Amino acid sequence: MNGNTNSKRHGLTRRDFIRTSAAAGAVALASGKANLFAAGSDTIRVGIIGCGGQGTRDLVSCVKSSPGVQIAAMGDLFEDRLKQSLEKLNTDVPAAVKVTPDKCFVGFDACKRVVQSDVHVVFLTTPPHWRAEHFQAAVEAGKHVFMEKPGGVDPKGIRSVIRTAELAQQKRLSVVAGTQRRHSKKYQEIIKRIHDGQIGEIVAGQGYWNGGDMLGYWKWYDKEGRSDMEWQCRSWPWFTWTSGDHIVEQHVHNLDVLNWALQAHPVQCMGMGGRAVRTLGNIYDHFAVEYEYPNGVRVSSLCRQINGCTDRIAERVVGTKGVADVDQGVIAGEKPFKYDGPDPDHYVQEMADLIKSIRDGSPINEGKNVAESTMNAVIGRMSAYTGRALKWDWAMNASKLDLTPPKYEWGDLPPETEQVAVPGKTQLT
Amino acid sequence: MDKHKEQRGRDFSRRDFVKAAAVASFAGASARLTSKLYAAGSDVLKVGLIGCGGRGTGAATQALMGVDKSVRLWAMADLFRNQLDASYDMLSKGAKGRYDRVDFDSLADQMDVPEQRRFVGFDAYQKLLASGVDTVILATPPHFRPEHFEAAVKAGKHVFMEKPVAVDPAGVKRIIATAQVAKQKGLSVVAGTQRRHQLHYIEVIKRIHDGAIGEILAAQCYWNNGGPWCLTAEKPAGVSDMEWQCRNWYWFCWLCGDHIVEQHVHNIDIMNWALGSHPVQCMGMGGRQARVGGNIWDHFAIEFEYPGGVRVLSMCRQIPGCSDRVSERIVGTKGFAYIDGATGFIKGENAYEGPASPNPYVQEHVDLIRSIRQGVALNEGIQVAESTMAAIIGRMSAYTGRALKWDWAMNASKLDLSPAKYAFGDLPVAPVPIPGKTPLI
Repeated sequence: MNGNTNSKRHGLTRRDFIRTSAAAGAVALASGKANLFAAGSDTIRVGIIGCGGQGTRDLVSCVKSSPGVQIAAMGDLFEDRLKQSLEKLNTDVPAAVKVTPDKCFVGFDACKRVVQSDVHVVFLTTPPHWRAEHFQAAVEAGKHVFMEKPGGVDPKGIRSVIRTAELAQQKRLSVVAGTQRRHSKKYQEIIKRIHDGQIGEIVAGQGYWNGGDMLGYWKWYDKEGRSDMEWQCRSWPWFTWTSGDHIVEQHVHNLDVLNWALQAHPVQCMGMGGRAVRTLGNIYDHFAVEYEYPNGVRVSSLCRQINGCTDRIAERVVGTKGVADVDQGVIAGEKPFKYDGPDPDHYVQEMADLIKSIRDGSPINEGKNVAESTMNAVIGRMSAYTGRALKWDWAMNASKLDLTPPKYEWGDLPPETEQVAVPGKTQLT
Repeated sequence: MDKHKEQRGRDFSRRDFVKAAAVASFAGASARLTSKLYAAGSDVLKVGLIGCGGRGTGAATQALMGVDKSVRLWAMADLFRNQLDASYDMLSKGAKGRYDRVDFDSLADQMDVPEQRRFVGFDAYQKLLASGVDTVILATPPHFRPEHFEAAVKAGKHVFMEKPVAVDPAGVKRIIATAQVAKQKGLSVVAGTQRRHQLHYIEVIKRIHDGAIGEILAAQCYWNNGGPWCLTAEKPAGVSDMEWQCRNWYWFCWLCGDHIVEQHVHNIDIMNWALGSHPVQCMGMGGRQARVGGNIWDHFAIEFEYPGGVRVLSMCRQIPGCSDRVSERIVGTKGFAYIDGATGFIKGENAYEGPASPNPYVQEHVDLIRSIRQGVALNEGIQVAESTMAAIIGRMSAYTGRALKWDWAMNASKLDLSPAKYAFGDLPVAPVPIPGKTPLI
């Protein structure tokens, strides 16, 4: 790009540019989109695909984060879920709801219809299985994207997300992911200090998401009276092909922080896990994975979804000169530090950052970050399911794992969608 | 005593001189008497074997073959006659080698175990202890270790005891108390944590203690492999619960402590040794995803926290067809150390390549017998009890899903896996633990 874009990185805000007539021409050169939002007040129309609890919350956060955001199109696999979402939006952010019935789409092709609507941004908040396909459709249609984590459920999907993220870069589209810790001031301040060498050379790390069972916050739908497809899509958190298992769906947050802190993805991993309590679906209820990062740095990851156990959700990075408890905003060691400044709601902040990047014509692109963090989690799961240590490069380049069902329609699904992995028997593919 | 030998004895103890001297002085008259008996290295040392399974038989070969022909197998005890007979048969005929021993020919010329010194049953160990042995090998399933160790030390016997040394906090506490009595009596106690007798381990750990990797920041230890011999899946007709479980002891937590205790204790022991401490607290998880039969799990992952906030990852798995890894790694400010059964090295500011080691399963018996003969007691009782306890709190944490502290487990836990009585009768199999439901006791 040109010099003006570069100078923005040195501290000038987009608004500063707008105020100077000299810069106005440069804005137009930088991007047509940028011009559209130059005044900072033009409406940004949002479409959503995936109107579940998280998607709906994301829309509310987005509307609250910035002025001029309107909800213009909605899509879901199920009409009842879409209606529930719409009701909630009409309650929480009524002024922003501009969805007409002809902009409500239901079914497997809802995504296509949403991205073809007159929207600037598409929210991808379906179960993770569909992320890769939807992301591609949105970017090909020239839409900015907010996509919930994780960025996929298998290596095939992740490869696609990485390719699409590159395309978004070429198209100067913003891509913000729901790894909201990246938008936390507290996290940013700690990670910055880690990158500045304040804990010395990193030699170890730990990430944890040990919490309760999902029945505390997600609804399980019984199989009876439903096709396999409807049953599993509605109960998606409990099936590997739809959610990626909880190491992918949830623990990706903590793995993302470790990748961020270490400025790399793992080279290889060795995992174990199982289901000691869980009986629903086919996912595990605990995983322990050791990731090896470049230079032999071993990082442990523990995640569990079992009620009545000790909870711990945290990230910790150990260096030769200190230890960072990232989630606590604390560094101990030679250069102790505690972040006690403001830390605005990360879910709102990520939306503010997204909308600002669009209005400023200065795209953020988190596509590759979230794809890589998702891949961490996916290789951890693959290792635990099979009992085999495995390398990132193999998984990224050679793995044939593709959890896509034979077809998307309301009917039967293959029995393996209900089978629980058995280490030593489940094949590494 | 030969001055040179005495010095060597102290080297072997790998304790600092002050400790060795203290032991010698506490040891008192009985230790000096012991050392006189064996000073010449030619007096017969009578060994009793309690627990005639594969490991016990292996340990017996190593005791007999390790030093010289003056070591005699004097008595044998087991819960089951056929186990005892098979062991006797193997020792007197020779056998092919396996992971813990080389091929050996008949050891009959070092065996003096007439029928009246072959003891069977739950009280066989008591009879063996009264049969005139000098030293005993305790190699029954771990559950029985505290009782057998206590009785052996009470009877004034030197002890080689297999790891682990207990299956619950109640048992660990008995071991520690007994180890202290052994110390007062000047008895030698060597544990089957044979890495402590393996040269490349000794050399690498010595360097860690000397600061070669700087301050320790993290560590990892692993025992991931295929698992042990198989369970007789169904209880045969006419066999009592107790007999079936004792014969298939590995598969029942009350007998073996689960594999994190029975096997992974080796690696956890290295963590304690390298870090110079036992853990302060732990948080564990695990389950059984492939195993069928019995009630033990097939995988555990524990994070142990050591003093100074050092977090150590422990992983152990017994599932065939998975990636294997059995090793330890210690990370410091100036480098890291890697050790496994075959190699040990340090990378970083003070790079070091460890030597090849003699067979540690033999060496541990050599060290024990020499310590007895030289009258400088080795006492590994407390260290193996602490390593066992670390594994036990890992298991307790994983079984219950609760993080827990060492001090609580050591002082307040009421967990005691002992059956109501030791008799060949009914004994329902305890259910497989369920985290979040299995209570922390």
